[in-house]
Amino acid sequence: MTEQTLVGAAAGDDPGEGLRAVRALRDLADRLETLQVERARGLGWSWQEIADGLGVSRQAVHKKHGRRL
Amino acid sequence: MFERFTKEARAAVVEAQQVARGTRSATIDTRHLLASLSSTAGPAADALRAAGLDPAEVGARARRAVTEGEPLDAGALAAVGVDLDEVRRRTDEVFGAGALDRAGARTTRRGKHVPFTDDAKKALELSLREAVRLKDKGIDGRHLLLGILRADCPGGRVLQAALHDAGTDVAALRTAAERSARTAA
Repeated sequence: MTEQTLVGAAAGDDPGEGLRAVRALRDLADRLETLQVERARGLGWSWQEIADGLGVSRQAVHKKHGRRL
Repeated sequence: MFERFTKEARAAVVEAQQVARGTRSATIDTRHLLASLSSTAGPAADALRAAGLDPAEVGARARRAVTEGEPLDAGALAAVGVDLDEVRRRTDEVFGAGALDRAGARTTRRGKHVPFTDDAKKALELSLREAVRLKDKGIDGRHLLLGILRADCPGGRVLQAALHDAGTDVAALRTAAERSARTAA
């Protein structure tokens, strides 16, 4: 890869690179959510409080994490 | 063929699905199988230990081999200004060492069937052949391990590297697996 294309990739003008970044961000956000929800439950937070924090419904949080925790 | 699998071997195959979901892999190959085998207590883990390996370390290696260059992509994150090392440092601090990687493994995509690759199928077939060769009735974790060693596959290469780093080789692990398979029979 030449220096020119490296710079282009970092700036996000290459769709492939940009999409890869989106995917990585989504994965990172999912992992952080898993860790935070787990910790909040451990500290005694209710599903409703966690849902409010995430800005989603209680049902959505419970569906996603309820079985695991 | 699956009816000849022991409970433990069957559990390892099922668990390989979970490993693949955790790593968001589109297919299950022998690395996923190796990761689940080495994290399940049983004959396979015993054979690894007998050959001088730490099963947990082998499992971690197999997972790493799968996730390298996959979704949690440090390079792609850096391109949008996210420093994964820094994120990792902070999550280690709050949630314990390795939390970010563990969280990835726990995020399961429920209900989605993950297919086996051809080399994983081949390794399963070879494990049957190993059981026949050793005149064992059931196929257990050791036979799966021998199947992975016999097949030319990514899981086998992870094992090779682990054995090499431990100062031993494939022959030693094969002997350990065969010996314990015999004594159990």
